[in-house]
Amino acid sequence: MPSSAIAGKTGLIFFPAFDWAISPTHPEREERLLYTRDQIFEEGLMDLPQIEEYKPRLAENKDIARTHFCVPDVESQVTEAHLIAAGSTLTLADALEKGEIRNGFALVRPPGHHSMRVVHGNRGFCNINNMAILVEYLRSRYGHKRLAVIDTDVHHGDGTQEIFWHDPDVLCISFHQDGHTLYPGSGFVNEIGGPQALARTLNVPLPPGTTDEGIHYVLDNLILPILEEFKPDLVLNSAGQDNHYTDPLANMRFSANGYARLNEKLAPDICVLEGGYAVETALPYVNTGIIQAMAGLDYSHVREPDYVPGAFVQSEAMWREIRKTVEQVNKLWAEREEMVQMALESLGDFYRRKKRIFYDTDMINESQEESVRLCPNCPGYMTISSSAQRGYGTLNNAFCVSIPRGACSSCREDAKEEYEEHLEDRRIGYVYLQDKERDKFKFCNNMTHTQKGY
Amino acid sequence: MLIGIDVGGTTTDAVLVDGSRVEKTAYVPTDHNDLLRCLLGALDELVRGVDVSKIERVVLSTTLITNMIAEKKTEPVALMLIPGPGANPRDYNLGPSIILDGAIDFRGKEIDKLNVHQIKEAAARIKESGVSRVAVVGKFCQRNPAHEERVSQIITEVLPGLKIELGHRVSGHLNFPRRAATTKLTLATKESYGKFAAFVVQALKERRISAPVYILKADGGTLPLEGSLQMPVETIFSGPAASIMGVMALTPPGQTSVVVDIGGTTTDLALILSGRPLLSSKGARVDSMLTHVRAFAVKSVAIGGDSAVDVNGGGLTVGPERRGPPLCLGGSCPTPTDALRVLGKSNLGDLERAKEAMAGLAGKLNCSIEKAASMVVDSVVEKIAAEINEMFREWEQEPAYRIWEIMKKEKLQAQSVVGVGGGSIALVPLVASLLGVTSIVPEHAAVANAIGAAVARPTVTLNLHIDTERGEYVTAEDGIMGKVNDRQMSLTQAEQLAGRLLAERAGRLGIEEYAREAEITSSEVFNMIRGWSTVGKLIDVRMEIPAGLLSSWRCS
Repeated sequence: MPSSAIAGKTGLIFFPAFDWAISPTHPEREERLLYTRDQIFEEGLMDLPQIEEYKPRLAENKDIARTHFCVPDVESQVTEAHLIAAGSTLTLADALEKGEIRNGFALVRPPGHHSMRVVHGNRGFCNINNMAILVEYLRSRYGHKRLAVIDTDVHHGDGTQEIFWHDPDVLCISFHQDGHTLYPGSGFVNEIGGPQALARTLNVPLPPGTTDEGIHYVLDNLILPILEEFKPDLVLNSAGQDNHYTDPLANMRFSANGYARLNEKLAPDICVLEGGYAVETALPYVNTGIIQAMAGLDYSHVREPDYVPGAFVQSEAMWREIRKTVEQVNKLWAEREEMVQMALESLGDFYRRKKRIFYDTDMINESQEESVRLCPNCPGYMTISSSAQRGYGTLNNAFCVSIPRGACSSCREDAKEEYEEHLEDRRIGYVYLQDKERDKFKFCNNMTHTQKGY
Repeated sequence: MLIGIDVGGTTTDAVLVDGSRVEKTAYVPTDHNDLLRCLLGALDELVRGVDVSKIERVVLSTTLITNMIAEKKTEPVALMLIPGPGANPRDYNLGPSIILDGAIDFRGKEIDKLNVHQIKEAAARIKESGVSRVAVVGKFCQRNPAHEERVSQIITEVLPGLKIELGHRVSGHLNFPRRAATTKLTLATKESYGKFAAFVVQALKERRISAPVYILKADGGTLPLEGSLQMPVETIFSGPAASIMGVMALTPPGQTSVVVDIGGTTTDLALILSGRPLLSSKGARVDSMLTHVRAFAVKSVAIGGDSAVDVNGGGLTVGPERRGPPLCLGGSCPTPTDALRVLGKSNLGDLERAKEAMAGLAGKLNCSIEKAASMVVDSVVEKIAAEINEMFREWEQEPAYRIWEIMKKEKLQAQSVVGVGGGSIALVPLVASLLGVTSIVPEHAAVANAIGAAVARPTVTLNLHIDTERGEYVTAEDGIMGKVNDRQMSLTQAEQLAGRLLAERAGRLGIEEYAREAEITSSEVFNMIRGWSTVGKLIDVRMEIPAGLLSSWRCS
């Protein structure tokens, strides 16, 4: 059957960065989207009236600083390729808000979902988090409050999770191959967000070998019902393609058709490409399927050459595990309000946690101490003290202060005081003040006493 | 001496050019029922009293194919598609087609086998329908034509004498639906075009003109008539191409300019960016289908000298419809032509009738006749200027896939607005002044199209795709394939191969003497990594002789 007509176009930005790679033989290399280009161009998808192709723009440094603390500064952490990939998502956001498109897909590289709030280098092939930058842009530019990020990459979206950990208005759900068996080794059911935002971060670890059926079970019985309740302004998909059964870096058994059907059911407003490294056997087909599903086109003809329907079957043990995980996560979601209440009663004026972050690509070890003011009048300001080491030497020390949107005057004053106090501290290289309320971002190099802002 | 003839929508224009001088011009009205007769009529008028032995080249630009397609006089063609996995072929706007099993992937590997029984059955159905032409087009068959060739072979066995066209021989560019449309149109127009070409050759022989005959293509290039027989669709939209090449010939080289051709009901706009006419990024749209035909980006705006002017609710509207000729030329509706006449910016038509037209508007607008006329003219000028700005914006927003393309794309501003065609003389200076740029209405503006045809040089492209792991290369233009033995082939070697293939192609088209004017316009290498080692390279080289002028022509 030919496709039925749905009003409105699907915006597409295809930016394969044919002149950018982490290294010549790295999975994140020039060739990654080459066959995808061949397939979607040969299909003539861009010529169809349902699809509008856009040219990406460069994100501004300010768009990056709204989300990240780049150490020492934005310019030294990002290349033009990163700014274009991030800028693609913003171009689609603008087109969506102007009503030019019904939904959009940023089919771009480099990816971003392993990048956290503080950036000392590249981890998990990511420098800056395209999805988080999009979320912050949608909020500051268009005033959206409630947003949902569904991470469908095979790896845990730990960067996105970390950035929105304390934010009750951004629902982050990531399903992925179990962290016992795959990078980054996190994303367990008990990772559910900060005390003010418990169960607004949800993780669904899945056993290696999970098939279309398993993933659609999670979608139908967990993700879609929760979205129905959360009622976000927009649904965003961190659309990794490495759950595919041919992906060389993971062990799942998801198909191109499964991906297309997932996007049809999830109906995301914007999709942003993350990982996916089966450059020849998966990406051309998965991307074609996702574009077609988003545009309301018939995707039933998309099929990998070696795909045999019904060939992948989940064992009863896998089914039990998946059902149990879904049940656990649903319970957490159901109890979220009580959990928040209990947590806040048991804590004082501040919530503090320490964590260690390893940058696998750049071999950096970072230790952080994070503190959030549990303010009765506003979301509370946050500080992060970060020390990054490479080998036996210290790379950089940074102190970061963030003023949230809707900050009360007392939190604002305290946050500014924290920033000023650390300007004199010679043990800290860089001090940052991120004012999301006023969309102003500044930092100081303590060694040279120079201040800069975005 | 060079001859250029452009068979246009209303008139057929012809010029005789000697070096850089326009020696003689001729016009005859176009008779759409007999294009050959008006073409020869214009030629005869042009060469009267001229020593025909001194004619070095004759170039024709004709609406033949455009008309055939518009009037649905093309031959019926059965379309057989081998779409493989991907889009539903019914989502393409290609008309009826027969879908066959079988598939080739992006690397040229067979991923699904053909079904011989199914092909024979399809052939039987075609026979029953009485159609004698079949276009066979497979997805990615430009990377491996085996399936298209095998289908052709089976059909020929079953139905000898059938005319068959294969997709990979028509175009090797990525985009299966455009290739299918182009293949179908090629087959549907080839014979009529061949007949037309034979008549032209015969007619010139009778006139003792022994100079080679060229045809103008949509990309502003010329091609020997003989060489164009395989690609009749390329001659579509050669009219606008002729005008744009004419502007190139009549203005200083290297400029960024807007070509404005104001007609009765529409205004055609085109851009020349730093001396290069802008090509349409999506290929020419023919009969509502996108094709692989390279064509200049021409924007048709529904406004012209004959557009109807109305006053609705206090506001003034111009166009888009035409309700007969202007009042000053015997029509019944006020038009921009009447307004220009009242303002003394043209001498066309009867002044009193023009005043009458504007008086009607002035009454409704409660202003003077002159004020009403200026409002009409301003409205036309503003509309055209806005469309020009939009065209530049669209060009800036064309997608790009590499960092350097995004970083280097500069913002271009028009240096001049160039008017061609009869309707432009009065309005183009006003458009230019609103945009704050120079206005140019060249001396021979009315026959710029014929001059463009006369002095345009040939264009040729060559897109070479090399897969060193598979040990093969293929050219996009005519599907020529060959072997590559060196897995580590360098880009320099690939570019040398492209140069050789381009020279061979130019030879087949009869323009070998231009091959050395070709330039490499892009080349890229992708290392294919499997595991952690390089198993081969994918190399793409693009060479072309872009649209340009014969070296004998110098803009005076």
